[in-house]
Amino acid sequence: MRLSLPHPGSLVALAILALVTGGFIALATIDGGSPALLSIGPYLTRVLAFSVIQASLSTLLSVGLGIALALALARRRFPGRDAVLAALSTTMVIPTIVAVFAVLAVYGRSGWLAGALQFLGVSGDLTIFGYPGILIAHVFLNAPYVARITLDGLSLVPAEQWRLATALGFTPGQIFRHLDWPVLRTELPGIAGLVFLLCFKSFAVVLALGGGPARATLEVAIYEALKIDLDFGRAAWLALIQLVICLSLTGLLNWIVTRPPAAHTTRSHVERPDAAIGRLKVLDWLILAAGALFLVPLAFSVLSGVTHLLDVVDADLLQAAATSLAISTAAAILACLMALALGSAARRQRLVERTPRLAALYDFLPNTLLAIPPFALTAGLFLLIRHIVDPAAAGLILLPLINSLAAVPFVYRAIAPKLMTAEERYGRVAASLGMTGLSKLTIMDWPLLKRPLASGFALAMALSFGDFGIIALFGGPELRTLPYLLYERLGAYRLEEAASIGLLIVLAAFVLAHLSGRLSHAGD
Amino acid sequence: MLVIENCRLSWPDFEADYSLSVRSGALCAVVGPSGGGKTTLLHMIAGFEHPQSGRLSFDGRDLLPLAPAKRPIAIVFQDHNLFPHLTAAENVALGLRPSLRLSAEERALVSETLEAVGLEGFDQRKPGEMSGGQRQRVALARALVSGRPLILLDEPFSSLDSNLRRSMIRLVDELRRKRHVTIVMSIHTPEDVADLADQMVFVANGRVAASGPPAEVLERGLAEDMAGLLPGT
Repeated sequence: MRLSLPHPGSLVALAILALVTGGFIALATIDGGSPALLSIGPYLTRVLAFSVIQASLSTLLSVGLGIALALALARRRFPGRDAVLAALSTTMVIPTIVAVFAVLAVYGRSGWLAGALQFLGVSGDLTIFGYPGILIAHVFLNAPYVARITLDGLSLVPAEQWRLATALGFTPGQIFRHLDWPVLRTELPGIAGLVFLLCFKSFAVVLALGGGPARATLEVAIYEALKIDLDFGRAAWLALIQLVICLSLTGLLNWIVTRPPAAHTTRSHVERPDAAIGRLKVLDWLILAAGALFLVPLAFSVLSGVTHLLDVVDADLLQAAATSLAISTAAAILACLMALALGSAARRQRLVERTPRLAALYDFLPNTLLAIPPFALTAGLFLLIRHIVDPAAAGLILLPLINSLAAVPFVYRAIAPKLMTAEERYGRVAASLGMTGLSKLTIMDWPLLKRPLASGFALAMALSFGDFGIIALFGGPELRTLPYLLYERLGAYRLEEAASIGLLIVLAAFVLAHLSGRLSHAGD
Repeated sequence: MLVIENCRLSWPDFEADYSLSVRSGALCAVVGPSGGGKTTLLHMIAGFEHPQSGRLSFDGRDLLPLAPAKRPIAIVFQDHNLFPHLTAAENVALGLRPSLRLSAEERALVSETLEAVGLEGFDQRKPGEMSGGQRQRVALARALVSGRPLILLDEPFSSLDSNLRRSMIRLVDELRRKRHVTIVMSIHTPEDVADLADQMVFVANGRVAASGPPAEVLERGLAEDMAGLLPGT
């Protein structure tokens, strides 16, 4: 009897499950027994309440501003509109630590706003720490993304329906009711859910702008338990609770997000009939001005770093840049390999084995990775390997690994549809020619896969390059990435240097994200 | 009568210049190769494209200064005619009142029109619950219920199979006679309308290359472009 080797995708799925399970068990049992949940009850309630309240407020404000901007941008055409849209698209990869810097530079005690108020003779203490800082940073990070996604959704309304609205003489209210609202109703739950999830898990923003231990999300609480209190049992419980909540939210998001396929229309651009209404023109320009007033200073605070760019180049910076590059490259390679293995396993189950439920599990696994608290997983894995690996080297192993797991969902989303397309188009031919394994990958899949894979690679690198998460656990004089260096400079109130470092991180992330976008659309 | 006189439109990659007249109450079929300017002609009549020069009138009324909603015209496209979140009756009612606030008589009129296109009992169905042919009937009902005397059909049945397509064209012709409306319909398959249309117009390269009774236009052949449209060629 011939034994067949397991599919690489199955091995990757099992390895991920083993890592996560092993990490959590190690964390939960390090103190020699089950930790007492009751002892952290009041603390947990406070952390949960804060997490939910700040995430809800952040979502409300981000979605509100994002939708208003999207509708205004959908109705208006102006010089530079394409550049605005491109800028909105790239905010997704703005590293959170850079957003923290921007908020401090504009709204902090010695920020631009305080300076302007002082100039005008207005006295008073600007307190940015706590809810104001957290909400501003979250809205800065998420509102542009909401606007871009909503605008994409609105652009799917077929040109024929705009012409019908014109021919039928729809009023602005009727246009909103019959054309805009059906799109918003479809898009909103998914967008709001995703923003809530991101804000609920927020780490760098809350750590830096929260203003003290009283304001901690679960992610920050896990970090504090591990790094400050060395209470691994508490960290394990908090991580498990976060995992359950985030998995439930992810499952809910998977269930409710049903984006309609892009419509085929006769002309790509049709003037909206409500664009000519005078009062809407005024409203739209007010919204765009308000959006610009809020977002532009934050963006410019980062760009101001260009003035001291050369001054910050020293051995620390070069070493941190090299470390960031090495870690992000390794993370991107790992993420691509894992996504490729999982994607081809899902394809095999769906199209060859005809087991769609198993295929759906492979599809779901990458999304679950978004729900896993990275600190808890890192700490658990560190406990597992600490006897066999030097603690200093552990960071270099775990950083790319954890960053790659965080990037897998994005790479998977880029390549999985192309893998399916390749099989549907050429699968039978490949089977009849006896193509399997590497020959199937290189001959059948590669032509369709190379661009989305390169796009996924660039995006994974961008996300990892700007990440300020796990490095907060391992960072120090021995191991610095650029985001960690920025955090150090912020802590020392060296804001000019922080601006320059932030600019470098943003530039690298934007170049990579732009490359990713170009590659993903090339050949369409 | 619909009268189009030297209506010129130009884009960087395409130029059109139309002259044509269609008798009121007629069924006029617009045929021609893909990309030849059939849809542009219909969109210009509807008011979605604006000619730089020329005249366009219907029954003596100048249409050019009028916005699409103010023209005595209803239009049916090939796809995306219906709003997916509204029922068939609501989609038809948009032709009467976009606010959807209908009187009892208007609601009865909507049901009656749905019945006229063979969709009795489909009032509460949503587009997703209907076939392609049924959806186009709803769109046709909306055009009819608006009471506008000129109906433009932009390749409305191209996605239907040939039997269904022919039965839909017969339905259009029947309704046109009953309701005394003028129909201008672009179509890819001239043979489907050859025995029903009063007039056939051949459009190629943004111009009306031939116009007249279908048999005459089809007989004149018009070189390869026309030959490519005929069955069996």
